[in-house]
Amino acid sequence: MPTEDQVLQALRQVIDPDLHRDIVTLGFVKDVAICEGAVKITLELTTPACPVKDRLKEEAEQAIRSIPGVDQVNVKMDAQVRPTLAQMGSMMIPGVRNVVPIGSGKGGVGKSTVSANIAVALAQTGARVGLMDADVYGPSIPTIMGITDAPKPGEKGIIPIEAYGVKVISMGFFLKPDQAVVWRGPMLTKMIDQFLGGVEWGEIDYLIVDLPPGTGDIHLSLCQRIPLSGAAIVSTPQDVALQVAQKAVIMFNQLKTPILGLIENMSYFVCPHCGQRENIFDTGGARRAAGRMNLPFLGEIPLATRLRETSDSGRPIVVSDPKSPAAVAFQQIARALAAQVSIRNAEETAAEPVKITF
Amino acid sequence: MATPQIPTPVEIGRANQHDVKIRWNDGREIIYPARRLRLACPCAACVEEMTGRRMLVESAVPAEVHPLSIHAVGRYAIQILWSDGHQTGIYTWERLYEMAGQLPNSKIER
Repeated sequence: MPTEDQVLQALRQVIDPDLHRDIVTLGFVKDVAICEGAVKITLELTTPACPVKDRLKEEAEQAIRSIPGVDQVNVKMDAQVRPTLAQMGSMMIPGVRNVVPIGSGKGGVGKSTVSANIAVALAQTGARVGLMDADVYGPSIPTIMGITDAPKPGEKGIIPIEAYGVKVISMGFFLKPDQAVVWRGPMLTKMIDQFLGGVEWGEIDYLIVDLPPGTGDIHLSLCQRIPLSGAAIVSTPQDVALQVAQKAVIMFNQLKTPILGLIENMSYFVCPHCGQRENIFDTGGARRAAGRMNLPFLGEIPLATRLRETSDSGRPIVVSDPKSPAAVAFQQIARALAAQVSIRNAEETAAEPVKITF
Repeated sequence: MATPQIPTPVEIGRANQHDVKIRWNDGREIIYPARRLRLACPCAACVEEMTGRRMLVESAVPAEVHPLSIHAVGRYAIQILWSDGHQTGIYTWERLYEMAGQLPNSKIER
């Protein structure tokens, strides 16, 4: 009969390609059960959105099968999202494990559509997801997520509204269409505090924050209030947008917020009639910029009429047309983003956060 | 454009009743005299925003000024609540590390 040691020894051959360590050292292997020649284990990954889930499962099965005396293998997959280590010291949002702002620098690059679809795509993998619309000036998340209800007060704060498995909060919930937010900085900071500490988020693996364009009060407040897991930056491919995106990168660098990667939106257009591809805003610019700045590139989303329609009608494309090229792109980007969060969190475990005892 | 590697603090605590001690991840352990740290406050009320001219008058700061509490600002700085009521300064890792070079008592401990 094989021993537990033999099983663990065999599993040490399986390396997570993103975290560059074996799955035993990473603590993924749980509940090893051996009965005669049958071996049962659970692999607990750091995200249900793991892009290499199937590959790890297969490699683990093969590794165990190669042990003499094993005739039956059962690998169960599970996931437990680990918090950004620094986050554990923050009592402002105790149940939230990772906060991931999505910024752009320039406006009009499709940040809200990207944020909403990434949030829903993550929720579809089984993760617990929140979506905070921090764009007070033009809150478009309620429209994109098809929310028309107003949130209700709970015991400890506002109860976020759930749509497509995502808990959502937005300034748009509290405004009539004919109202505008005309606020100075201190009010914006208060709103961020409210949206973080004054909302009953509950247990959340990823809180996606849809930032307003620019590098202003809201960005600064968010980076100061809580240790963020890292930011993703959306840009269109053309130079003029990328130049502004670079300013967002510089801002996050200054505030020591890691950058999880760049996303290219409106990457290209495929004519639905003749099938010819047209690079309306150029293409590949964000990928090249990521290479230049030594940042991960998370993926590209094509321009598509369906994408615009689904956003306007409140049914994100990853829900309403999940097989479309744009939806597939969002699913891949969501997995790449989750992988980057896991990578950052693993690096930080090695680094240990600052301890303040004054 | 990945974040340039500057040292970051591992531990921020007390050197004595008033002074602040920071242990950096490059092994340095620096003691920041309380009053010196207060006088170096980088906030817009203490330093003129455009010119960088220091507006804080030394004699206006109590001799025995000391931090009452220190808390982290995001991932990049600390904010100090001072015994004279001041608390608007945000001391970034860069600024604190740069200050270390100007202090007489800096020593390297590995």
